[in-house]
Formats: sequence, structure tokens, C-alpha cells
Amino acid sequence: MNLAKPKIILTIIVMLAAILRFWQLGTNPLSLTWDEASWGYNAYSLGIDGRDEFGRFLPFDYLESFGDFKPPMYAYLDIVPIWIFGLNEFAVRFPSALFGTLTVLVTYFLVKRLFFSTRINTSALALLSAFILAISPWHINLSRAAFEANIATFFLICGVWLFLCGVYERKWCLVLSIASFVLSLYTFNSARVVAPILVLILGIGFRKELLEQKKHAMIALVVGILLILPSLKFFLSSEANLRFREVNIFSDPKVIEIANQEIANDGNEWWSKIIHNRRFAYTVAYLRHYFDNFNPSFLFIKGDGNPKFSTQDVGQMYLWDLPFLVAGAFVLLRKREGCWWIISLWLIIGIIPAATARETHHALRIEAALPTFQILTAYGVFIFVNTISNINRRLNLGQIAKIPALPAGRQIKYLVLSLCFLFLIFNFLYYYHGYYAHYPREFSGEWQYGYKDSIEFVETIKDDFDQINVTTLLGRPYIYYLFYTKTHPEDFRRTAIVREDPYGFTHVDGFGAYKFGDDLSKLDNGNKRILYVNVSGRSPRKANIFKTVKLLNNDPVFTIYEIVHMPEEEKKNE
Amino acid sequence: MNKKNIVFLTLIVIIASILRLWQLGKVPSSPDWDEVALGYNAYSIIETGRDEYGKFMPLLLRSFDDYKPALYTYFSIPFISILGLNIFAVRLPSAIFGILTVVVTYFLVRELFKDSRFKLEVGNWKLEIPEVTSLLLAISPWHIQFSRIAFESNVAMGLNAISILLFLKSFKRPFLLLFAAISMGVSFYMYQSEKVFVPLLLIILILVFRKELFMIPKKYKVASVAIIFFIAIPMIYYTLTNSDALARAKGVSIFSDLTPFLKRNVEKLIEDNNNKDYLGLFLDNRRIEFAKSVVSGYISHFDLNWLFVTGDIERHHAPNMGLLYLWELPFLLIGMYSLLFGPFDKKIKIFIISWFLIVPIPASVTSGVPHAVRALNFLPIFQIFTAIGVISFVVFMSNVKYKIANIRIEYLIFYMYILFLTFNILYYLNQYFIQQNYFYSQAWQYGYKDAIDYLNENQDKYDKIIVSNQPHLDQSYMFFLFYLKYPPSLYQIEAKNSSGGFRENHKFGKFEFRPIVWDNEIKRSDILYVGRPQDFTGGVEAIKTINFLNGKPAILIVTG
Repeated sequence: MNLAKPKIILTIIVMLAAILRFWQLGTNPLSLTWDEASWGYNAYSLGIDGRDEFGRFLPFDYLESFGDFKPPMYAYLDIVPIWIFGLNEFAVRFPSALFGTLTVLVTYFLVKRLFFSTRINTSALALLSAFILAISPWHINLSRAAFEANIATFFLICGVWLFLCGVYERKWCLVLSIASFVLSLYTFNSARVVAPILVLILGIGFRKELLEQKKHAMIALVVGILLILPSLKFFLSSEANLRFREVNIFSDPKVIEIANQEIANDGNEWWSKIIHNRRFAYTVAYLRHYFDNFNPSFLFIKGDGNPKFSTQDVGQMYLWDLPFLVAGAFVLLRKREGCWWIISLWLIIGIIPAATARETHHALRIEAALPTFQILTAYGVFIFVNTISNINRRLNLGQIAKIPALPAGRQIKYLVLSLCFLFLIFNFLYYYHGYYAHYPREFSGEWQYGYKDSIEFVETIKDDFDQINVTTLLGRPYIYYLFYTKTHPEDFRRTAIVREDPYGFTHVDGFGAYKFGDDLSKLDNGNKRILYVNVSGRSPRKANIFKTVKLLNNDPVFTIYEIVHMPEEEKKNE
Repeated sequence: MNKKNIVFLTLIVIIASILRLWQLGKVPSSPDWDEVALGYNAYSIIETGRDEYGKFMPLLLRSFDDYKPALYTYFSIPFISILGLNIFAVRLPSAIFGILTVVVTYFLVRELFKDSRFKLEVGNWKLEIPEVTSLLLAISPWHIQFSRIAFESNVAMGLNAISILLFLKSFKRPFLLLFAAISMGVSFYMYQSEKVFVPLLLIILILVFRKELFMIPKKYKVASVAIIFFIAIPMIYYTLTNSDALARAKGVSIFSDLTPFLKRNVEKLIEDNNNKDYLGLFLDNRRIEFAKSVVSGYISHFDLNWLFVTGDIERHHAPNMGLLYLWELPFLLIGMYSLLFGPFDKKIKIFIISWFLIVPIPASVTSGVPHAVRALNFLPIFQIFTAIGVISFVVFMSNVKYKIANIRIEYLIFYMYILFLTFNILYYLNQYFIQQNYFYSQAWQYGYKDAIDYLNENQDKYDKIIVSNQPHLDQSYMFFLFYLKYPPSLYQIEAKNSSGGFRENHKFGKFEFRPIVWDNEIKRSDILYVGRPQDFTGGVEAIKTINFLNGKPAILIVTG
């Protein structure tokens, strides 16, 4: 493949990526998840007085948020967009979409570096990789919501690219590379496992080059350590590992129960204790979760079971990608071109942290393995196109069969290529149409739709009431109320009732006139006028309903009502 | 074949035989409903020449209205005649075919790789691909699983190996083509999937080996085609004209229950319609939905978890084991790679890869994928890949000369790996022969034998015995026929008026098979009830309780 003007094509690809990521960013996905709302409000709060929602000044190690101790990078990146666009959905998602677009650009440079000094046309391969990433359902889905994993992926790719730049020519890039890797640690939890292993492997792979430039390598190392140092204490603390301990597979007692039963079945023999050792059982469980991420249906048919990460109609990749991915992987291993080993190891490493969790496959936690899938696919396409370009010399069906009507070799080539391309376009349209035409309606519930409408309504009438009781049954309402009422962080911190539960989660039971709880009647407080925002179907019979908020598929979510107080009658009814 | 080959092959056959014959009637703990049905129908044919429905020498067994191809039943007739109607005799044909397949695989692989000088030298032992492949098949969890139960699919897979071997041999000895044709034709009578798989296999064989076929004298080719048609046509005719048999095909296909499958699709079409979205109406076409689910069924067979860790339903694998050994995974990948790029005949490469790729096709239109039985034809291809992988790896490692603390790293890796491999195999054997009965006895419908032994002693005291036919006691009537050795001639008359279908109630002698609803039963003291624990409400004393092998109650016998 020869391409005349790679720069122009790259610009077009990046623009395409930007359109696919920014078009209707604020309205599709339909509404914010609580994590997104939390990023937005924390960024808003940081932008006002440099403190997070709970008043920690310039937190660099974590945001407490819901007790999940989020790495803080996304909130910082979101300060400027929120300052420019205001506290709204578009602004919250802006960093993810922007870095998603930049990831496509950086992938181009990465691939050029990975296949540096090979005989193949690196520009064409790099453009293909960038293109496949630009239209990847996996990457588009994750770039269109405030997922911090998406930013971490950008930093990881940047890190690898800059590392390669560093060892090949521009030595100072090593320092930038390490900085980029460290930034990824401050962005997403999985990166805390992936980045160090990746650096280690790059370091071992390029040990000779690094030894030749000891000075820069040492500076990079020192810079890296200095950047990690401030948060090191937190990384090793129990809070940082809280979520891990809760969701990991090694705390599953069932594995031990089965192993004990198996040993008992063997009459408690010593050899049985060896073969049914629980460490082996856990290793197998780990492998099961690891392999889950290579589940064919997950990758190519349905995608992640969680509708936030997939439309449920298209896999994490297109079906079109499948043959090229397989062919690309085999041929790359065969030809061992460029830094083939980085691509293969990166793919394997990217999945390591996700496989310790009970819920696999998980498109978000293995995003660190991107863009290796896309590079392999691009390599497969590249090999395919190159092979088929030689076809007019090798195969001429029309002549072999002596039937002039059959197309000649050159025509077959174009026929095959256009059929392939047509199938890709079909795949893309199928995904894209589904994403805009059906996805919002079908999964509005999964995106916690309803908070915005209900809050906007409550805002119009709230002055008539002394207290507003909001249900927590749909999860973490306080952050939505902060977000959509744009409450000043100072007001929130002054009036917030914060509680920590035994599992380490942080709950806000109320702020200002709002009270949050799962049983609304318990929140009543004297004889004030109270407005209720409850899950639909749970409103008492005495309710005077103001409004019912519905999902896009017409299922009701919230009912907003007041109770006309007739205490004695109410008791009888109960 | 030299002496060493023979010694080695004998060794493999001994291993294969031990693993397939030892405790054949006891592990798995009891027959499942298909096994007893095959057994009883064979018994019925021995005694009366007719199957349980009174059909004379059937080609398809109606059985539970699933219309099983009947050949397995005929295979088991000699064994049941000699050994009596018991589970060992029913399973024996499958086990024998399993051992035979191991031998056939040896010769098949030898034929495929006869020009290859790819070998493994251990001391003065030379191991080549055929030996390693058949050894791997002999110890394969997947193959052992289905060789030890009366599943037609296992014999069908063996027949396929024989067909391919005979086909390849016929290039030298043309008359063998006739036998290949017979073997292919016969396999239609063995198992449902074969009706799709064998034609595809034949097309591939013809396309890949068209030059060799061209050299075979015309008379053999014509005769072979005639033989295949002659054998297959009755079956094709019978399958296509028997509307009940077609019903079974529809029943297991993804096209059977459309409502949940298309629910989302219908909603989308309505939305497209409302929006006048013509692109949407095209894209959300339900044919695309079907195409997607076929592709999904196909690629589901390449799920690593299914192959190596979890398997599918409990009757298809040992507890905590997949269908292949975990230690085989790296070699499988290396083997695929080596086969693709290694020094092998291009034709053989194309043949093996196409053979591999057509295997999931029959299963991909069915529900319940991936399916270890319908995809059993993956054997022995996985073993061929693994064998090539093992040999490539050993050859590669022998050239590595690194040393760590005076130990050559190749030995270190070999020993570590042999340790792991031994561990993995021992683990499997323990899981299969010891743990399986404990953990999976319910899946194997355990309990009938003990219950019927008890009833045999005590049935004179009762006028009527009512047996539940609800899960997990589905098709209980067939277990009773089997274990009671109920005279087929009598049963054929008694059962004439009850259809005997999949969900129907049955009746013979003093036995009645129907759901037990305890509150509505008459509860006389001369009526005996045989049911599940949950059938008897309100603190009823059982006169006999039969437990699953994990101690949970399976069957309760209660008097009214």
C-alpha cells in the first residue's frame, strides 16, 4: 500500500474520530451516571475553591466520592471544560471525548514507532490502526461518557510511544514517558498494575539502549519516583485496596468448600491435599476470569453485559475485525516485525488486573489493552490487502477456466476489496444506527435517567416546602441534586450530613433542605411541609402527586408528591 | 511399521482401554435417559424385532420424540444379548469404538503426515506426530467423557476418522474408496449432526485432493458415489418426509422459540416504523438477527473457558475440568502456529484447517451452544494441533543452551512442565473417577437402580405404584422399563394407546408415571408413591429414601 499524503489522511481520520466522539455528547448517552455526576461536581468544586466536595484541599492522591476513593485526575482535567461550558453533561464528558480523540492520533504515532525500521509501509499501517480505533465501538462507547479508564489508556499509549521515541532517538522523551505512565496511575486503578509491568517489560526489552543512555534513564527513574512518592502512602493504604478486596475472586469461600469436600471424598489422603490445594483452585478461577475476556460473544457479538459499555448488539469489536485480528496475530508472530513483542505482551498484561475481579468480562477494566486489538486487526488488514494486491499476477480465474465472462485477476481483486469494505460499512452503520436510534430508549434506566427531570421539577416548586425527602433506592441522589442545582460547595459542606457505612462507603443523608434515605417516612421531621421524591409505585395512597417522571421506554421512575396529613386515618390504614 | 511403533501403539491402546473400560458401568454413576432408552430399545428389538413403539426394525428411534438415528442401538444388540440388559453392556459399544478411534487416529495422522520428518527424539525413542496424537486422544478428557457413555456422537466421530483414513488410503489402493463411501453413508444412521457434517467434509476432501482423485479409475468413483447414495437415500428420504423427526430438528434449533429471541428486535422495528427510519428498517431486519446468532453459535466454540476450564453442562465434563487439559493450551497454540507456517504439505495444511473450521457448523444453528457433544468432531484435530505443538516446542527448546546456576534451562523447563502435566492429568483422573459421582450424581439421574431394587422386593404388597415424571425424574418410565427388564412384547401392547411422547404420562403393569400432587392424591395404603422430596408436602414419612451420592435426598418412596 502506498499512500501519498498520510498527514491529510490522518487529519481526516482524527476529525472522523472527533465527530464520532463529540456529536451529541451531552444527550447520548442520555443522562449521567452517578460517577459522572461526581466527576462533574468535584471538578466544579475544585474550580471554585480548590477543594473537593468534602473540602479536601487540592487532593492529589484520591477523591473520597462515594467511598470508592477515585483517582483524582479526571476531576482536574474536567475543571477547565466546566469553567468554559458550565456544569452540564457535555462538559463532564468533554475530557473523555477529547482524550479519546487524541488517543486515535497518538495511536498513529505509536504504530509508526512500533514498526520503526521495518521494511513495511509504516504510514499505511499506522493510518489503518488509527482508523480502526477511530471507528471502534469499544473505544467510541467508552469515549462518550466520563470514564476515567479512557484517559488512563491515553496516558499508557503515550507512555509507550514516548518510551520508544526515547530509546530510538530523542532521549528526553524517556522522562516524558515515565511522567505519562505515572499520570496513568493517578487516573485509573487498573493502570496501577498495568503501568508498572509495562514499564518493566519495556525496560527489560530495551536494556541495551537504556544502558547506553544511563543519564537519561536515571533522570527518568528519579522523576518517576518523585512523582509517585506523594501518593505512595495512599497506594499502599487499606482504603486504596478496599474495592479490590471486596470484588476480588480470592475471597470467594466456595472454592475452599469444594476443595475440602474433594479431599474428604479421597479419604483425606496426603496426595489429595496436594492436587486439591486451594492455591491451584484459585489459579484456575483466575484463569477462568482471564479467559472470560476473550469470550467470543463478548468481543464480537454482544459486547459487555453492562449496557453502559456496549449497545448489546455489537461486540467490543466489529465482527468484521475477527478474521483480520486472528490473521494479524498469527502473521505478526510469524514475521516478528518491529516491536511485535510489545504488542503481544501488552495485550496479555492489559487484562491481568481485570481478571482478579468477580465480574468479568469487563470492557472498562481491560481498556488498558487497547489499542493492541486494533493494531493487530490493522496488521491483518494490511497483510490481506498486500496479499490480494499481488493477485493479478498469481490468479486469473477467467483464463484458468477458459471462460472469458469471468472477471480477470485485477477485477477480482477490486471485487474482493470492495466486498470487504462494504461489509465493514454495514457493520459500522449497524452499530452507529443502533447507538443513536435505539440505545437511548432501550437503556435509559441503566444510565439513571430521570434524576435531571425530577430535579428540575423539584426546583420549580421547592420554595413552597420546608423539606424535600428523596429516595436513595435508585442510588446516590445527593450528587445529582448537587450537580443539577449547582449548589455552592461551601453550602454543601456546611449542611451535609455525612455517614460512613461498615463496608466503607460514604453516604450523604442530606444537605440544605434535602434529606435522603430509603424509607422516606422515617425522614419526616416535625410538622413541616414536606415534598417527596420517591420510586414510582411506592407512593402512599394519601399522596397528592405532582408529577411522574418516566424513562424513555415509558416505565415510570420517580413520583413527586406531597402527603395531605391526616395522621389518625393514616395509622388505621397501616 | 517397525517394532518400536508397534510397542508404542500397543502401549497407547492399553492406556486407552484402561481409561475407557475400567468401572465402565459405575462411573458415571448411572445411565442418563438417552442411555436407558438406547438400551431398552435394543432389548426390545432383540426380543421382538420391534422398538418400544412396535415399529419393525426402525431406522430412526422415536424414543422421547427426538428421533435418534438408530444405528447405535443395533451396535449394542450383541453386547446386550451376551451380557444382559445392563448399563455396562449399553456403554460397551461406545467404549470399544473409543479405543478403536485411538488406533484409527494413529493411522490417520500417519497418513496425513507421511512425508513429514517432524519428530521428537528422546534418547533412542523417536516420537512422531501420529504416536503423540493418539496418545493425547487416549488420555483426552473430552474423548474419555463420551467414550464412557452410550452417546452416538462418539461412534460417529470414530466413523469420520475411519472415512477420512480410507479416503486418503484409496489414492494408493483405489478399492478402499468404496469402503470410505460405505463408512460415510453409514454415519448418517449414527448421529444427527453427521447429516450436515459429512457432506461438508466430503466437499473439502474432494476439493483439496481433486488431483489425487483424478488419478483413481473411474469405475471406483462411480461405484462410490452410487454406494453413498444407495445407503444415504433411505435416511434422507425418511428424515425429510417424517414430519415428527423434522419437529425435533426445529426443536433444538435457534429458530424454535422466537418470542424472547426477537423481543428486542420487534421493539426496534416499531421504533423505526414510527420514526420513518428506512435505514433502520433495513438494518434491524430479523434475518440479520438470525445471521448474527448463527455466527455467535459458531464462534462460541472457540471460547477458551468452554474448552479448558468450565465445559458446558454437567454431563459433558468432569467437575472443575474443561474438555481439554489446561497444560495443552500453550501447545495447542504453538501447534496451530507450527502447522500454519511449518514444513508441511500445503494440501495437508489446507485440509486440516478446513476440517477444523467446519466442525462447529452443525452445532451453530442449534440452541445451547457451545455443545460438547455436537462439536465432538473437533476430535482428534485438537490433539493433532497439540501434538505438533509439543514436538515443535521440544525441538525448539533442545536448541536453547542457556544455563542458570549450572542447570541447563531446557531441562529445568522440561521438568517443570512434566510436573505440571502429570499434576494436571492426575487431577483429571481424580475428578473423573472419584469426584464426578459425588458432585454430579444428580445430573446423571442417579437413584433409580436402588429405588427399583427396593420395589422389586416389595411390589407385591401394593396394587398400584405411582411414579413422578417431573424434573429431575423426567422420563422415569424408561428407567423403570430398563431396570425391570419389562417384557417388550407386553409393553408394546400396553403402551399402544399412550403416545409415549416427551412430556406425556405413561402406564404399564401396575406402574403409573405422572406428576404427583400430594394434596389431591387418594393416599390408600395399597398405593405406593415414588417421587421427589418436594412432591410430598406436610411431613410425610418415607418408607424408603434414596440419596444422591452427595447425601441429598433424590427419591422418596411413600405409601399412601
